[in-house]
Amino acid sequence: MYVGQPLRRPEDQRFITGRGKYVDDIKPENCAYLGFLRSPHAHAKILRIDAGKALALPGVLRVVTARDWEAAGFGKLVCVHPMPSTNGQPMREKLRPAFAADKVNHVGDVVAAVVAETRYQVLDALEAIEVDYEPLPVLAETGRALDPDAPVLHSELGGNLISEILRGDPVKTRAALENAAHRVSLQLNSNRVAGNPLEPRCYVASYAPETDHCTLWATTQVPHMLRRWICKYALHLPEHKLRVIAPDVGGGFGNKVNFHVEVSTVVWLARALRRPVKWTATRSETLQSDTQARDHVTHATMAFDRDGRITGLRVDTIACLGAYLSNFAPSIPGNSYPQTITGLYATPALDLRVRTVYTNTVPIDAYRGSGRPEATWVNERLLENGARELGIDVVEARRRNLLKKTDFPYQTPVGRVYDSGNPPEMLDRLVKLAKYDELRREQAALRQQGVLMGIGLAAFLDKSGTGPSRQLSTKGGLHGGYESAIVRVHTDGKVTLFSGSHSHGQGHSITFAAIAADRLGIPVSDITVVQGDTDQVPYGNGTWGSRSASVGGTAIYRASEKILKKARRLAAHLLETSPDNLDYDAGMFSVRGSNRKISFGEVADAAYHASNYPDDLDFEPGLECTIFYDPPDLNDPEAMHLAVVLVDIGTGRVKLRDYFTVDDMGTIINPMIVEGQVHGGLAQGIGQAMMEHVVYDASSGQLLSGSFMDYAMPRAGDMPRLKSDYICTPAPSNPLGVKGGSETGTIGPPAAIGNAVIDALWHLGVRSIELPITPYAVWRAFQSGKAS
Amino acid sequence: MYAFDYRRPASLSETLAYLREKPDAKPIAGGMSLVPLMRHRMADPAALVDLAAIADLKRIEASADGLLIGAMVNHFTVSQSEAVKLCIPAIAQLAGGIGDPLVRNRGTIGGSLAHADPAACYPSAILALDAVIETSARAIPADDFITGMFSTALKPDEIITAVRFRRPDAAAYMKFINASSRFSIVGVFLSRFGNGVRVGVTGAGQHAFRPRALEEALSAEFSPDAARRVAISPDGLISDINGSAEYRAHLIAELAARAVTECQAGRAGAIL
Amino acid sequence: MVMARISLTVNGKPVTAEVEPRWPLSEFLRDHLRLTGTHVGCDTSQCGACTVHVNGSALRSCTFFAVQADGAEVTTIEGISDGETLHPMQVAFHECHALQCGFCTPGQIMNAIDLVRREPDLSEENIRRGLEGNLCRCTGYYNIIKAVAAGARAMREQAG
Repeated sequence: MYVGQPLRRPEDQRFITGRGKYVDDIKPENCAYLGFLRSPHAHAKILRIDAGKALALPGVLRVVTARDWEAAGFGKLVCVHPMPSTNGQPMREKLRPAFAADKVNHVGDVVAAVVAETRYQVLDALEAIEVDYEPLPVLAETGRALDPDAPVLHSELGGNLISEILRGDPVKTRAALENAAHRVSLQLNSNRVAGNPLEPRCYVASYAPETDHCTLWATTQVPHMLRRWICKYALHLPEHKLRVIAPDVGGGFGNKVNFHVEVSTVVWLARALRRPVKWTATRSETLQSDTQARDHVTHATMAFDRDGRITGLRVDTIACLGAYLSNFAPSIPGNSYPQTITGLYATPALDLRVRTVYTNTVPIDAYRGSGRPEATWVNERLLENGARELGIDVVEARRRNLLKKTDFPYQTPVGRVYDSGNPPEMLDRLVKLAKYDELRREQAALRQQGVLMGIGLAAFLDKSGTGPSRQLSTKGGLHGGYESAIVRVHTDGKVTLFSGSHSHGQGHSITFAAIAADRLGIPVSDITVVQGDTDQVPYGNGTWGSRSASVGGTAIYRASEKILKKARRLAAHLLETSPDNLDYDAGMFSVRGSNRKISFGEVADAAYHASNYPDDLDFEPGLECTIFYDPPDLNDPEAMHLAVVLVDIGTGRVKLRDYFTVDDMGTIINPMIVEGQVHGGLAQGIGQAMMEHVVYDASSGQLLSGSFMDYAMPRAGDMPRLKSDYICTPAPSNPLGVKGGSETGTIGPPAAIGNAVIDALWHLGVRSIELPITPYAVWRAFQSGKAS
Repeated sequence: MYAFDYRRPASLSETLAYLREKPDAKPIAGGMSLVPLMRHRMADPAALVDLAAIADLKRIEASADGLLIGAMVNHFTVSQSEAVKLCIPAIAQLAGGIGDPLVRNRGTIGGSLAHADPAACYPSAILALDAVIETSARAIPADDFITGMFSTALKPDEIITAVRFRRPDAAAYMKFINASSRFSIVGVFLSRFGNGVRVGVTGAGQHAFRPRALEEALSAEFSPDAARRVAISPDGLISDINGSAEYRAHLIAELAARAVTECQAGRAGAIL
Repeated sequence: MVMARISLTVNGKPVTAEVEPRWPLSEFLRDHLRLTGTHVGCDTSQCGACTVHVNGSALRSCTFFAVQADGAEVTTIEGISDGETLHPMQVAFHECHALQCGFCTPGQIMNAIDLVRREPDLSEENIRRGLEGNLCRCTGYYNIIKAVAAGARAMREQAG
């Protein structure tokens, strides 16, 4: 059995020797270079663009602007997951433009593009383009976007509101709040962060005029979707004339799913100039153009009965989507956030309002966690404050509110049905893993010595395995949720798998190979995996939403099943018996009660030789199977985290000393890879909790965190001592029982660490803490605690 | 990057001759500050004069009275030097906390001081230790060396050759680290010479400075409480995403208090 | 603008080239020598993905000009294995699952090898400090720390 083993990854060999092939490593002959001129203003009219001087510089081949895009008859960067308001009003849509036309709406907004022979010539040309701007009043604060006097970005839309999503039952919730024994209200904003995969985005496009065919190497998580969007929406090309190849991709985290403004221009100009064109983002550009995440302003109230049981939850959120709609953006606060806002608790009444808004900032879109960190921050901070105010231990408060195993499948007030889980078991495991009672004793002892230790928890649900295509469509999605797979057996019995999902670090190769190897009964070393090439792989929806194992993996599983079934039929035919009379073990078919046998490899050879095979209309030569697998449901990983902090009240510095996690991801295919996903997610979650922050100046909209000098991310020394455990309640919706395992790490830390810091400072009057929990934030919280 | 010419002279005299000949040439030491600026086209020297080959600039000499560190000695070397650790361990502590290990392999004391980043560590040390900056032309007392944000008393054709430190009775460096840049949000270097205390602060203002009220209080009473009692004024201090001027004012006194504790315990400081 | 002629050793082989002084070593390695294992992840000299060895000591090749490497010995990720035999640090990274997307990995390995030179006491705390200049967005660092410890043990055993 390979599934369940910590198999090592074959791709490591090229990565550790420096032979990975990332898009910036590709340098076609006669390659020209492209650069973008970006707005230095957050909000301004474009009065004049003059590229005359730039065009006169040596090596400059072309300068293009919005006018050229229009003249070429190109289209739009369509939002593929629109969300109307709950009252039926369509969302007020302003799509991200490839080039800003009359107005720029965020620092970094693209104004022009230059192609030249060398990168240095591109930089010189960019400096020579003259642009006259007329600055306009700036809106950079999410909380102000709906104020009557706020600057309006897109006046044709009549305001900054995009859509209003309402969920739950306001009447029932009002009653619950009014009748509650206790209520907690908090301001619970979620900080804007940037995914920052370490590989900056890069695109190389080359054009073959003799076949009118273009090849695009792209840093993308979704090669087929990207091809479709460029062809269908942007450049109006026939899809079969564009090949998209995603070679090795250096991290994505959701950033590289999106239909970014630069990619269509690279393809356009490669075709127009009839030579390869390459664009590589700098890190500063990344922070001005790659989509960002979170950025919610939330006021919420939780109601409790006298025993600390939740009786109602009211949440009012303004969610920023940036200056334009990026292609999945509305679904993050509009769908993912509501679906997990009540977490793992039986919340009888919910009143949720989410209003999405435009501000003069970089567009927001999916990033690992997408909506769940925001939801968990709200739900779990309220729960713990309520518990403390009622004098109930925070672990006990969970016990009283958690869903039980028998409650699943559980319908939430939002309408989503959670598939399976065992939250009380997870809590027991967490308490045991962390030695909770000992921690509380340690906390008391340290308090005597004037040392402030805090303990905080987060219990939460993730949402993964996107997803049933029809369901996506009813929610307005313009894309499917199935996944493609080919299992191709070669004439010698070795196998190549093709998958429409695309690894950017998650180790799909060995994961899919393990699934197929177990199903086919062959060694995992006999299998190779191909991803990321639209010419080789059937249409797939790519990797995001923790879907590759449950959807991509099941596609592989199903295709392998079909292969085995066909092989068994052929083997039976060749051994002159019936398929039921065959045993199959370790790659060998044998006739029961005799010594007649044939190997999988021999069957494969026979399938391709085709000299002797069943004389049925439905039996064809060859041994290959293509599947498009549409999952019947999403799945719900769950997790619980516990954080232990030491707070230095003299400086505000928080040391995250210990961290404990218990995860339920259903069946785990490769525990080494899953553990790596938990680690990596935790680093990003801890980052959001304690240091990451995309900051815009409130009056000018200037990006104050425009490089790694000002955008902090965790380093090795920032990671706490970690202990992890796992339970398994299989996902009912796929034969592997797999749930997505890659995002829970990002979801828990803000709540767990925030709760821990509050726990440490509660006795000093601190009730609330802002994200990120920097030393300055702690010091401010402490000052306001002293004041009250 | 804009284009530039490059020289790597073997001697100080050759370097100075070239700098006089080409007024828009810049010396480069470790490059840790200059090259990133050039990369962003924020600095545009017509030529770079690389000091790496000048052997004279790499000495470390310790004596009973103090320490001489050559301008081109990198931070890693200073942090590991037995001579420095025995003479003024707070300097080894400071050097070992600059940037990160890759920065420390390249960055130099001369380069750091010539660049005078308002959050760099060394400027606080030279003020607190009453150091002398030896250049190709003269010797500049620390109090006269830093003249503003990124500006020093150095002339364009003058380079730092070494820094001379007197040995204090006790010294400690407390660095409150900026998680993203690895510079200081506030850094406090404190030294005691007999009954006199000197304090150098970096990261908090337009440039490194000595908070005289703190020095007076600690000279009168060398205790953590005495430091905490001083009300540092936020006027003129930096407010940014890492903290307000008031917060920095608080940190100055708090870090000074902890530096006193370090001195009393015979330790050289810490990164917080 | 005058080109400069440089002569250096790269991964044990002599290299002579005409370079513009403004080319960072990272650009010279990637674009001109086509040694693309050294990666560029940021533009403020902080991520460490571009780490190489110059004269036996690790530095960021994005913050060092090719002209500065004249007369030097440069080692990149492509130069640390011995033919088909991997360097013990490479083996350790693979065994410990200390990489996911692989982009930071060459820089991590080059720094880790230098860390073994810089730091005689490789406690976990010292390893964490030693990795401060190499960002990773995928692994959360735990496995990198394990790999560095394992690689260091193997290196020190090999050295005898």
